[in-house]
Amino acid sequence: MALPQRRTDIGPPHYKDFLPPVIQKNYGDWKYHEVINGGLMVHVANSGDKIWTVRIASPRLLATDTIREYADLAEKYCGGYVRFTTRNNVEFLVSEEKNIEPLVAELKAKKQMLGGIGPRISNIVHTQGWIHCHSACTDASGLVKVLMDEFADYFNEKTLPNKVRFAVACCTNMCGAVHCSDIAVVAIHRKVPRIEHENVKNMCEVPSTLACCPTGAISPDPAKKSIKIKDEKCMYCGNCYSVCPALPISDSEYDGVAIVVGGKVGSLRSDPKFSKLVIPYIPNNPPRWPEVAKAFKIILDAYIAGAKKHERVGEWVERIGWEQFFNITKFPFTFQHIDDFTIARETFRTSAAFKW
Amino acid sequence: MEIAELKENMYKLVESAMGKKKLKAGDIKKHYRNEGIAEDQVKEALKELVDEGRLIYTYFGGSYVEIPPK
Amino acid sequence: MPKKYDTPLLDELEKGPFPSFVTEIKKAAARTEMAAAELGVLERCYREKKTHWKHGGIVGVRGYGGGVIGRYSDVPEDFPEVAHFHTVRINSIAGFFYTSESLRTICDIWDKYGSGLTNLHGSTGDLVLLGTTTDKLEAIFAEYSSRGWDLGGSGSAMRTPSCCVGPARCEWSNIDTLDINYAVTQEFQDEMHRPAFPYKFKFKTVGCAVDCNASIARADCSIIGTWKGNIAVDQAEVANYAKAGMDIQAEIADLCPTQCITYAGGKLAIDDANCSRCMHCIAKMTKALKATGEKGASILIGSKAPFVVGATLSWVIVPFIKMEAPYTEFFALIRKMWEWWDEHGKNRERIGELIIRRGMREFLEYIGVDPVPQQVKEPRRDPFWFWTEDDLNQKPWEAYTK
Repeated sequence: MALPQRRTDIGPPHYKDFLPPVIQKNYGDWKYHEVINGGLMVHVANSGDKIWTVRIASPRLLATDTIREYADLAEKYCGGYVRFTTRNNVEFLVSEEKNIEPLVAELKAKKQMLGGIGPRISNIVHTQGWIHCHSACTDASGLVKVLMDEFADYFNEKTLPNKVRFAVACCTNMCGAVHCSDIAVVAIHRKVPRIEHENVKNMCEVPSTLACCPTGAISPDPAKKSIKIKDEKCMYCGNCYSVCPALPISDSEYDGVAIVVGGKVGSLRSDPKFSKLVIPYIPNNPPRWPEVAKAFKIILDAYIAGAKKHERVGEWVERIGWEQFFNITKFPFTFQHIDDFTIARETFRTSAAFKW
Repeated sequence: MEIAELKENMYKLVESAMGKKKLKAGDIKKHYRNEGIAEDQVKEALKELVDEGRLIYTYFGGSYVEIPPK
Repeated sequence: MPKKYDTPLLDELEKGPFPSFVTEIKKAAARTEMAAAELGVLERCYREKKTHWKHGGIVGVRGYGGGVIGRYSDVPEDFPEVAHFHTVRINSIAGFFYTSESLRTICDIWDKYGSGLTNLHGSTGDLVLLGTTTDKLEAIFAEYSSRGWDLGGSGSAMRTPSCCVGPARCEWSNIDTLDINYAVTQEFQDEMHRPAFPYKFKFKTVGCAVDCNASIARADCSIIGTWKGNIAVDQAEVANYAKAGMDIQAEIADLCPTQCITYAGGKLAIDDANCSRCMHCIAKMTKALKATGEKGASILIGSKAPFVVGATLSWVIVPFIKMEAPYTEFFALIRKMWEWWDEHGKNRERIGELIIRRGMREFLEYIGVDPVPQQVKEPRRDPFWFWTEDDLNQKPWEAYTK
């Protein structure tokens, strides 16, 4: 069968065609919103019109079967209008109040997880992992599943001092804002790349391979028409493998995950913050990574016990001090915790005031 | 330079770089800027070459312009 | 019937309350050989604790340099169905709004040509179609583009821009994030589909400093809505919050980072000149407090993940700009930035890294933006700075000594 005529440079469809009528009517004219429960909120316009949002978690990786189910539900209860959030949640946009209850009932019957609104844990921003990525040193989807199972109550029912944002990155490339999350996993390598000299010659361009190394650990090896790596300068970021596929770095035995804490992106109360290292390594233990879930639980429990209302994880830790954080969590403090990269000296303590 | 002439010239530029240095679109633009050729013309010539399939974009940790493999 | 693989490890991830990605793959695996093999490969990754994917190469649709990511199995002899397993990025709709009909169209085409697996959405914000072969790409593109869907960005190009829900469903948005997102996407179609930059460039637009799209952490250009006027206070609503149990002194006044809020005798007062517009009070008392006056955006540049020099947050470049269609001033500013980056940027060097390497002054001068205190946390600490000939001829002290 003949294919339709392709078109280029058209961009995406115009968003106006996908907004529910009540949004089109009240666009830019909303007055306030109220969080009714973890999975339901209402926005009220200056006109008095209302739109209810019923939010459920999705695993982000979706079969078309499931997308069609979402479409059917949206058609049944929302005039066909549905949206997704940056954190992979699905939002059913309900214009008629009477449709909320049957929609929620049907979602619950389908064992969907409602929640993510308000001072809670929302769904987890994450990367491709072993599903699809060449540089993954763990599986992001698996870790997300384990963490969301562990903390399901905090998605829907229970509240926290403020919202807590998790993230999972399957390598230090960190697709997604892992470096500014409350509690996040970033997977790491711990061994230098292996050099496949024959392939370097055929597959890689030497100058760009040298240039991509953040620490200048790579130099040319003219005799072999290849490259050399100074082991003691390499910090296993894997950037060179993305530029030159003849430098494989993944290692079943030594790869694993690190945990970073205390980042945020909003400017509320305090400036946006980077996440900081609290656990430099936990081995990969699929399929359910129990040690990672345990570490998250220790951090979250300490936050719940210690934070004041509205404090994000990073604000709480800054108030009590990082030395206190390590006291409370009993995580060992090691050489890996002390920065020796580009901004190291900014992080050294320059005051005689600290806690024991 | 006429667009047809520029296209041939550009094709040869990419051809002669193959195996030595991968060229980025920016490298090609800079090359012709130094020769005093208008940027719009360079963009158009490259676009036509790629639309015709004589040149393609490739990706190896960054995007390059190359001649497609046989 | 697609082949069925034993997946004892992955089956463990079908347990528990959170919807399972394994169940999703299995749904598609019942229909397509690619999804079935994906499940097999993934089980092997779990068993061996390592990835079995290779990247790279030369795949795409004619005329475009992006939108398709080449992906290959490194064990094709064992899983020939996913020897090629490319990703297609579809440019999503601003705000991620869809209709049932549009979702079904997307699924119908994908079920015809691919694995049946998707991501809604990828980290950058594309609608990601996971897993197809090189020979299907032109057909996929023809089917989607003829129905109004274009490819997203990849490689050294402008990436698919994304934004928060903005004025569509939020009372805090100071700018029309969806319109800006759409306008940026349309204005720079060439820069998206024909990679000509040193490396990637991302736009993310949010309506306020709550930053629900993590714009400040992961966009080369972060567009963050703000305002110049006062915060209007509805004292009756303030009283309602107090009645409902809010400790306004502790939760609002004491947590204001500039201590510009006082709460006395049941009345809340804001010293607007000292407000830094952090959004805490507005976010917690949305019925009582409203930003008023001139609306616009702060333009921040340079955030990115750690590669290569370390992670950066975006830096304030233009503290305030009106962001109204047709955005002529903004687009001109962006083109100047790109010109400078094109001229000096090395392969894989993001614009923020180039600013670090060559200096903020050169960047600001090139794009024609004056220095103002809003651009820095604090002035420099060292005594080493440059004077140009032009600087030497200026007499700035006259401004405050006359």
